[in-house]
Order: sequence, then C-alpha cells, then structure tokens
Amino acid sequence: MSSQASHESKSKSDLKISDQALVCHESKLRGDITIGPNTIVHPRATIIAEAGPIIIGASNIIEEQAYIINRLRPGADPSIVQVMEIGSNNVFEVDCVFESSMMGNQNVLEVKSHVGPGVEISDGCIIGAGCKLNGNERLPEKSVIYGSDCARRIAMDKPPHPSLQIDYLTKILVKYHHLKKPRSAN
Amino acid sequence: MALMFQSDVVQYVCTCGQLKPISLMYFCRHCLKLRCGYCVCHEVDSHYCSNCLEILPSAEARLKKHRCQTCFDCPNCLNTLAVRATTVSVRDPDDPNKVNSLKKYYHSCFFCRWTTRDVGLPDQAVQTVSANGWSQKGESNIQRINVLLEYVRLLGMQERHEREQREKKFTPRSRRTFTHHPGLTAAHVRKRAGLPPELPAPSTIRDNLAEFQPAVAKEEVASLPESIFTEELDIDQVTTLTQRLAQPETQPESIVDLIPSCKHLCTKRSQRCRGCEHNVSKPDLNPSSIKFKIQHAASFHVPEVRLVSVQPLIGSKECEIVIVFSNPSQQPTTISFITLEEAEAEAQEHTEVTPDTSVPQGEAPPSLSSLTRSPPVMEEPRPVSIAVTGDVNLPTADVEIVLAPKDDAAEYDDSSDTQQFHDDPQIVVHRRANKASLRLTVIPHADKAGQNCTIGFGFRYTYINRISTPASASFEPQKVQLSSRTFLNCGKIKESQ
Repeated sequence: MSSQASHESKSKSDLKISDQALVCHESKLRGDITIGPNTIVHPRATIIAEAGPIIIGASNIIEEQAYIINRLRPGADPSIVQVMEIGSNNVFEVDCVFESSMMGNQNVLEVKSHVGPGVEISDGCIIGAGCKLNGNERLPEKSVIYGSDCARRIAMDKPPHPSLQIDYLTKILVKYHHLKKPRSAN
Repeated sequence: MALMFQSDVVQYVCTCGQLKPISLMYFCRHCLKLRCGYCVCHEVDSHYCSNCLEILPSAEARLKKHRCQTCFDCPNCLNTLAVRATTVSVRDPDDPNKVNSLKKYYHSCFFCRWTTRDVGLPDQAVQTVSANGWSQKGESNIQRINVLLEYVRLLGMQERHEREQREKKFTPRSRRTFTHHPGLTAAHVRKRAGLPPELPAPSTIRDNLAEFQPAVAKEEVASLPESIFTEELDIDQVTTLTQRLAQPETQPESIVDLIPSCKHLCTKRSQRCRGCEHNVSKPDLNPSSIKFKIQHAASFHVPEVRLVSVQPLIGSKECEIVIVFSNPSQQPTTISFITLEEAEAEAQEHTEVTPDTSVPQGEAPPSLSSLTRSPPVMEEPRPVSIAVTGDVNLPTADVEIVLAPKDDAAEYDDSSDTQQFHDDPQIVVHRRANKASLRLTVIPHADKAGQNCTIGFGFRYTYINRISTPASASFEPQKVQLSSRTFLNCGKIKESQ
C-alpha cells in the first residue's frame, strides 16, 4: 500500500496540465503526461505512461472509460524511452483503447474501438464502434474503419471539429466535478 | 432468448413433422395442434417503412416498387441514411454586397460516414428529398422492361382466352341465373361469381402481340476501355458484390457511381392455421407497436421441457439426466410419459378425427368464402427424420405428475411452496411454483460413441380448451388430453472403457 502511494506521488510530479485544459479529478493519470490547452479529460478516463511520456495536444476530448496507455512491450528494453504523441482535435469516445505511439489530428476513436500498439494513425481517421486494429501499419489520411468486419474506405472530408462539444463541456463539467489543478512543467 | 429456450437442445415435433424449438412454434387453439412456420399460411397485413414508420396500402406499395419514397439506404454499407443540415452562404443576386445564408440538406451515413457529397450529388433545398431527385441516371432499361412486362401480360391474356373457350360449354348453371337479375351488367356478374374481369377481344390481343419486337443479338460487343489496361487497379475504388447487387438497375463498378437507394418496405404478417384457417398470430397494424392482436405461441400453451443436468454419457451405461417441465397455462396440468410410438399413433388418430369434430361447420370467418381462398390443405405429416442414439427409461404411463398453474407473482414470493403433491421421490427431484424437475435414466447406444446422444419421448398433458363454439350453446371449458413428442440432445457420448 505504502509503495503504491509513493509511486503515485512520484508520478504525479511528472504531470503537466496546461492552463486552459480541463482534467477531472476522478480521472486516472499515471506517469509522465503532458496535456495541452482546451483538452478535456472526463472522469474515469485512464491515461498511463508506462514505457515513456505521453504528450497530448490541444482541443482533444477524452471521454469516460477511455484507456490510453503507452505500454511497455514485452521483451523491450525498459531503459529505451518510447514517446506517445497525440495531436490536436481528436475525440476518444467511451471505452476506447489506444495503445499506439502516434496519432495525428482530428481523428475519432468511436465507442469500444481498439487501436493496437503497431497502428499509427495519421489525420482525419475514424475508427468505428467496436472495431479492433492489431496489425503493424500506418493508416492513410481520412480512413474510415466501420462495421463488424472492419471494412475500410477513404472519406472525402475529415470528421467535424469537436469545438462545439468542447465549449459545452467546459461550461458543464466544472459545475459538477472537481478539477485537477493546472501545473507547469516544473 | 434462443439460449434460454435451448434452441438446439430440446426440439418438439410439429404436426407437419418438422422439428423445432418451442419458441418458434404456434399452437392452434381450435384444432389443438402445434404449428410451425412451414405449416401456417403467411399473409401480408400491411407494408410499412421501418425508418419513417409510414404505412402504405398494398396497391400503393406495389406501385412504388415496395420502396419508401422518403428514406434511403447507404449504398456503401446498406444502413439507413440520415439527413443532415448545413448552412451555405450565397451571394444575393440583386445586391452583390449582401450575403444570404441558406439551409441545405444532404444525406450521411452514421456508420461508415458516407455522404451524398462523396459522389458529387448536390445538396438539396428541402429536407424530404423525393427519390427522383438523383436516381434518374442509368434507367435506360426501364422502357424495355415495361415493353417486356406488357408482352408477358398479353401472352397470359391470350392463354386465358383459349382456356375459357375450351371451358365455355360447362359454364355452371348458377352463374347463368345471375343474368336474369335486372340491372346487373356482365362485369357485375363476373365479379359476383368470383371470376376475373372480361378480357379484350382475341383479335386485339393478337394485334398487340404482333407489334412486339424481340431483342436482336449484336455481332459486335463494345470493347473494354483503354484505361483498364494502362492504369493500375485501386481496389478501394471498386464496389463489392453486395454493394453492386443492392443497386440492380445500374450495378456500378466504381464507388463513384454509388447513389442512395430507396429503403425497402417491411411487412407485418399474420399467420393462419392451415387446418382450420384461424389466426394463430396477428400483429397490431400500427408499425410502431410491437404488440399482437392474436398471438398463440406454443410456449403459452404447451408445457415446456428443458434439460437441466446430464451425467457423463458412456455407451451402454445408465446415466441420469434431470429435465424440468414448466406449465405455462393458468390451470394445473397433468403430465404422463408415453413412448414415441404411442405418441405418434395418437397424433395420427387425432389428425383423422379432426375434420368433423374440432372444426364445426359455420365457424370459419364469413370473409373467407371458398372462392377467394383455397380450401384447407390437409397434408400427411411427414415422418420425423432424426436418429435416436440413446434409450430412455420413462416412468410408466400411470405415473401422473401434476404441475401447478403459472402464477406471475410467485416469482417474487419468497415463502416456501405449500402445495402438496404425492410424488415419487425417485422421479420428482424438485418442485417450485409451476415447475417440476424430473430424473430420468438414459442408456446411450454403445456404437454411437463420439456422436451426440439424442433421446426422444412423448408426453400427454391436459389442456383446458376455453374456446366457445356456436354449436355448443352452454359454454364450459373443456378438458382435453393432448400429446406431444420431444427430442433432447444430451451431448456427446463417451467411449465405454
């Protein structure tokens, strides 16, 4: 118990939350995490930086039960730091799992989707509800993965910007939840 | 639900000889027989769109090719398309400095994010887009199809004409007598006699047929486009077979040519017993309602058998199984076991007696005149084609097990059962509310090791018939003894050591 508490206090010091970001207190953040401005982290969302730091850009929405983990690969050398980068304007919907090390901008991970460690996501992609990706690849821009057998297509447009939703959440969430205080890098 | 009723574990024998789980069967309360989907008449009650829930009369539905005119399916993933609105700013034609904002609508799929903009279809000014907004292209075949349909219709008329000529000598007397009535035209008489309307003269039919131009085979076939040899194939741009077949008129090869297709209509169907033409199931007409006007599912009338536990099945060794009987009716019922042969004999006996006892004359609904509807089909029940791979020791036929009536409140009642039944503890293991667990011994066949052990038995049960018939003036619930056959799949047989 005591060891866990000490671990928590140690990792909490690595947490960097931007001034305009909105991180609910009930979210679970472990390790070296940087959260950019206007990003919203819902209660019960989990972000774990195990193998290296996680850098999250601006205006992302990370919903309840979303699980973002920079996992230590089995057999990998723990001394090599592996950075997970998440761009801006991405939406992580309820109960999605993101284990990859790269995500661009304006992507949507729909409910219960799963992105494995080998899948790099570029810009404007949509991973449909319940779709699982476990290969080693880089998704081309504006890819849409949908349906029970993960069919693919390339869309014309990127998914809509989540700014309206962010405006709404910044008004609502502060009324009912305690927030984690923004803290700078030092 | 399928798991709950153990769809492939316990199967009942339908009157027609089909094996079905009880959840998929009907029970006709008039001829007191089990009916399955294959031995009922299906009738379409209404056509409706599953998206906008609009009811269409069947004539209109046929006219609109059984498709809804306002709802569309995604051509990419075949789910329903949703209408989305956007505001577009348009420069005022009168005043170049003024900018008007206009609301425009387009269709988009929530599943695969396909939009009508993907294929370059223009946004619409109104929310409800009619189908002819964009489905104009590629309908070059429609005229030829209409000509062919007309030709086949004429052929049919000619054939009917010839047949009527042959039968003219034997016009029934009853029809002729109608002509004496004053004020009745020939068309009226035909309608009353249940005959189709009068045909045009044979000479006009022949003339019209002569006008038809048959298709001519071409010597030259259009050559393949140059690009097919030179350009690399992008598999993402090619439509799948499902997408192509969803649009039979155009069958596009490239995803650029996909256009939304009108949504197919759904039907509400009622099921009618083949023996007595009474409804066994009739849904509510309103598409938004999931209730039924009449619903005689077998699981509301026939005791249900479920398999509870099986001891390891070893060839030619006795092993115990526990099954549970539950009584779905509001009256107590008595169950006794019989062998399959006895049950089959009883079922056949029942079939022979039916026509004159359980379907009294004059009971058929008045709308069903013999002219509009075919007479009830009496089919020989087919033999059951399932191989029994285990013998079961049944309690003797005089062992009667009484099942308490179903009480919906009993589920929430914690008090222990106060009912007293004189059960043989060797057979009845456990009782609760309307259920009784019974222990049976099964001897799997030794030479069938590795296969599934299928056992079969018949059982008699008492059923209270609450249908009042006009023939019997005094209404009194009738107690009848019915029998049913079931087959149980108990699992794999192990090798005997």
